[in-house]
Amino acid sequence: MGEKDIRTYNSVLGYICLDLRNILKYVPIQYKRVVEEIRLRSGSPMNICFQGRDYFIAKDGNLTDEYKDGILVEKRYIDETFQLISNYSIYAFEEEMKNGFITLRGGHRVGIGGKVLYGANGIESIKNISSLNIRIARQKIGASNRIIEYVLDSSGTIYNTLIISPPQCGKTTILRDLIRNLSNGTYNLKGRGFKVGVIDERSEIAGMYNGISQHNIGLRTDVLDGCNKQDGTIMFLRAMSPDIIAMDEIGSIADVESIHEILKAGVKVIATVHGDTMEDLISKRSLNLLIKDRIFKRYIFLNNSRGVGTIGDIVEGDTFTSIINKKR
Amino acid sequence: MRLAKLIGSLLVLCSTTWIGFYQGKKYSNRLKNLIHMEQCFKILETEIVYGATPLPEALNNIYKKGNKRVSFVFRDIRNHLISSGKGDVFYSFHSVIEPLKDELNFIEEDIEIFLSLGRVVGSSNRQDQEKNFKLLLNQIGFLQEDAKVERDKHEKMFKNLGILTGLAIIIILL
Repeated sequence: MGEKDIRTYNSVLGYICLDLRNILKYVPIQYKRVVEEIRLRSGSPMNICFQGRDYFIAKDGNLTDEYKDGILVEKRYIDETFQLISNYSIYAFEEEMKNGFITLRGGHRVGIGGKVLYGANGIESIKNISSLNIRIARQKIGASNRIIEYVLDSSGTIYNTLIISPPQCGKTTILRDLIRNLSNGTYNLKGRGFKVGVIDERSEIAGMYNGISQHNIGLRTDVLDGCNKQDGTIMFLRAMSPDIIAMDEIGSIADVESIHEILKAGVKVIATVHGDTMEDLISKRSLNLLIKDRIFKRYIFLNNSRGVGTIGDIVEGDTFTSIINKKR
Repeated sequence: MRLAKLIGSLLVLCSTTWIGFYQGKKYSNRLKNLIHMEQCFKILETEIVYGATPLPEALNNIYKKGNKRVSFVFRDIRNHLISSGKGDVFYSFHSVIEPLKDELNFIEEDIEIFLSLGRVVGSSNRQDQEKNFKLLLNQIGFLQEDAKVERDKHEKMFKNLGILTGLAIIIILL
């Protein structure tokens, strides 16, 4: 498991400019396994984040809390890194740049900060790139094994499920693995999988690169990459006949309408949302509608109290009682 | 003795003529290569503006589609780009200056236009790239006209000069 994580880290280094790569190479192995983000900001020391904390990197590759010891990121480093990330072809990533990120081979995402240029049709491009956030995607196969029994219905379908967690607590990882499990039908399903449609608005779930999913998302999964939820819902329902539609980060009124559309068609929904507690969700106007209508039958709360992806609670959607560790 | 003189004279004449032709040929080569280079630029423009092909692949396509006499530099740039892993396109364009000078008979101004492509290619959106290509193709057109004038002026002159120098040497030595 650790070997794979180190390989993932090393593959990401290939996208970072030579000067910084030569330092990042020497980061101690135990950290290479867990790094979640590598952040470059023009004129600030290079930063890496993991397990909810961030560190600077000294010239010898060791981690430090003292910013003065950290290696300073020059504008040139950012430009060169950006060239490598875009494969020397910024023109080929015009659409991605408008969304503020580029997906790399391997499903890693690079967030971009800089001067945003507007044209007649909204954001046109980003110039003078000043910061890059390289998020290392690590798939955790089996991360959803513990929750799948709560999601499966006794009649052979699934419950509409909402996964709730603060940022960086493994929301997308759990969702991705749940999709894989349901699609493959390998877990408690005796090989009878579901047709899953993934609306991957932010290219995070499947991590599509040149039309190929960079994560294992199952045998019966179709992906609409970079598609917004409203359009994606209509497209899937029209011709793809999914059993389940999965989406990341719902929140707007339009998203709620899409979910209603999905339910009208008799298709099940799995979604994620930013949040902490049930009160949090109720305070959001759009989500409140879904909760009041008892749309979701399972609410899965995540936190990082015992590491990323800790299952805090699983709540039943009709009675709002916790069912974790109880028989269904 | 007379035969030796005759052979010697012929050798001198041949070699000076060859030097004259060689010098003269440089001018027509430059023109031909500039025309081929323009073609390569146009292929690259199509790859980028209409195909949005990533640069390394686009460079490889120019090598395949363009005239190999010139297009080999794009293959060299691609290889340099990938092997250096430095994230600097201009640096890779810089690496082929020598063959441009020696094998393609390009002069300073031609190389400057070529390098200016290295400064801009891939660094902006398609609209921007299209504008840059328009400018570059315009400039390369001017260079071709210049190369044509130079060729007409010098090629014949060097050829004649070669023969005449040979004859002059023979007359002096005889």
